[in-house]
Amino acid sequence: MDLNKIIREERINLNLEATTKAEAIDELAEILVKTNSVSDKAGFIRDVYAREEIGETGMGGYIAIPHGKSKYVENTAIAIGRTKEILEWESLDGKGVKFILLFAVPEEAKTTVHIKLLSQVASTLGDEEVCARLLTVESADDILEIMTNH
Amino acid sequence: MKIVAVAACTSGIAHTYIAKEKLLKAAEAAGHEIKVETQGTVGAENELTKSDVAQADVVIIAADIKISGQDRFKNKKVIEIPTNVVIKSPKGFIARVEELLKG
Repeated sequence: MDLNKIIREERINLNLEATTKAEAIDELAEILVKTNSVSDKAGFIRDVYAREEIGETGMGGYIAIPHGKSKYVENTAIAIGRTKEILEWESLDGKGVKFILLFAVPEEAKTTVHIKLLSQVASTLGDEEVCARLLTVESADDILEIMTNH
Repeated sequence: MKIVAVAACTSGIAHTYIAKEKLLKAAEAAGHEIKVETQGTVGAENELTKSDVAQADVVIIAADIKISGQDRFKNKKVIEIPTNVVIKSPKGFIARVEELLKG
């Protein structure tokens, strides 16, 4: 499958300014607004936090996958960011987070190519080696290569 | 041993698939055969057949929601856990499954 349809350079920022979870989600949501995936940032962020309430999105290994299924999502997308410092973030290993993949999914999402791509990205994150390598990537191309060759 | 599993999570986008991958890797590393059905937003994928289920020594349900087709597994040994258990400690979980089956 063509992960390059969903892993897009314009939605990746490997130098996030954020020093808190809230700032990181805000920065990534802003990217989604600017790239025409999300129509209303505040509304989308509320839906992301609604999902956070249900359980940890920190998967361990400093990786988190917050996700919002939201009526404010117009195009399925992933915003990817890495912070300089480790953020406090509810995670399964309790170690916090520095690499974040924010999934934006329309409320009415059914079987679409893009949702399948999201699930494929999620699958790659089940591989510890992929997660470890993501922490040191330098470009969107690096991310694509790691996930494609997984 | 032969394992069949179903993974499903609340929003059906992320945890389902991470759990699937972790189960596959941990089970195969321990020398088991495994097939994992996912029930996510895109629907069921890699669905377990009757013969998959019939041949399985154990059924693992890694789910945060009620799965569809639970009745397929009556008369089987079924282990139900939330996705997070598998994601957090896949090898430890498979080791516990091995112990449970022995005992």
